[in-house]
Amino acid sequence: MRTIFYFLIVICLLQSSFAAEYQVDKSQKNMVKFISDAPMEDFEGVTDKIDGYLFFEGDNLLQGSEMYFEVDLNSLDTGIGLRNTHMRENYLETEKFPFTHFTGKLVKADKTAENSYQVSAQGKMFIHGVEKEITVDGTMSPLADGYQVQALFITPLTDYKIKVPQLMFFKIDENMKVEVNFYLKKAEKK
Amino acid sequence: MKLNTALIRLLTAVVLLTSLLWGQESTVKWQRSAPATQPELQLFHSPHGIDLPTATTLQKWDMEFEISHRFIPTTSSGIEGFYGLDGPVHMRLALGLALSNRMVVTLGRSNYNDNLDLDLKYKFLQIRHDRIPTLLAVRVGGAWNTDPQYREIAERSKSDIHNFQFFGQLIINSRFGKKLAIGLVPSYLYNADIRWGPETDDSETKDILRLGTQLQYYVSPLWSILVEWSPYLTGYKSLPGQENNPLSYGIELETGGHFFKIFLTNSQYINSSQYLAGADIPVENNDWRIGFMITRLLKFSKKM
Repeated sequence: MRTIFYFLIVICLLQSSFAAEYQVDKSQKNMVKFISDAPMEDFEGVTDKIDGYLFFEGDNLLQGSEMYFEVDLNSLDTGIGLRNTHMRENYLETEKFPFTHFTGKLVKADKTAENSYQVSAQGKMFIHGVEKEITVDGTMSPLADGYQVQALFITPLTDYKIKVPQLMFFKIDENMKVEVNFYLKKAEKK
Repeated sequence: MKLNTALIRLLTAVVLLTSLLWGQESTVKWQRSAPATQPELQLFHSPHGIDLPTATTLQKWDMEFEISHRFIPTTSSGIEGFYGLDGPVHMRLALGLALSNRMVVTLGRSNYNDNLDLDLKYKFLQIRHDRIPTLLAVRVGGAWNTDPQYREIAERSKSDIHNFQFFGQLIINSRFGKKLAIGLVPSYLYNADIRWGPETDDSETKDILRLGTQLQYYVSPLWSILVEWSPYLTGYKSLPGQENNPLSYGIELETGGHFFKIFLTNSQYINSSQYLAGADIPVENNDWRIGFMITRLLKFSKKM
């Protein structure tokens, strides 16, 4: 009985000491950029309103890995205010779907350099009321108390039932590039 | 005693085990810390109807360039006059700058009487009602007719106070669903007829109050149809050549915040102070002028 008791205490201590949660560090210069090639001018929407967490156990990024990241679509800035309104109302329908989010886990974390991991995340992307299973490749660079995360992936608008916007009669590329660059810091214990 | 110790250890083990299992489900501490950003409420897509303003404003430091035409010959000029498109035209150029997300200042010039105008629009109330969202704004401005084309006042100095006009508009906008936007724009014009003054022995100021009304139906994200009518309410309505209520209707093409309007109108006047004085063609004549307005938005500040 005594052995079981001490074993459980050790397990609990290990659990609490090795599980790590990293949350988006909002004090950093985070960036999420949606880019689409258009015949006359590239169309870009940028925001720093990304939030969420990455959780894993121990030193292994993959063990018990879990993540959730969301982007506030009402904050997307295309450079022109009325174009933002046009995009929100007619295409993203942010009144109904103010956030887009990705929820999943890390499935690959290869150390490629002293300060860099090549990572893959697998999970569900939710945009415009539609959820799709996707895999996103990127890099994670360890920092003093967190990570810098960078990724670039393609999101076909039609997969998410978003009409392809038009600019000056020309439709923009339906394959939207999504570029993310944000910082995670270790969650403070409450 | 031994039993008590064993029991305490057992209970502690159960509690620890429970907390361990429970902990697996609740280890993530993250919670959304702020609600979604609430953008400015905009109902009409464009800051302008045809001649009346809407309560829509620009984002801070956005600039708007406008070019408008009213072809003076009417559609009855037929193919010989290319339905009016051969010109001549009244034209207006204007540049607006958003001083805040709710305030826009605009400087414009039209070639009729070499009119310079300056106005300020401020959106002061947003009602985010689910079914009938409403916006209220005011627009105040002045116009300087720097070269009036009237014989009666040909000798008048350009900077004579009687060459200035002032106007004020209350803008009430609402929208039903995403498709139908309506606007009421009670408008007051001071000095509707710039000919009054010592030269014409007329000391009575010519003021007019109109009720601007506008309706726009958004057919798709690209196209919409719009109508404006500004009936006379009270004041001076006998300005020669401008005794009629302005009526305009046409289509608007929207491309990412830029707008192109083409329409038919019974008025050849283009600046607010000229337009509010009245239209020159009676609607019952069924004779129209072609006009257009192009607005292009520009970013004044750095991108993120």
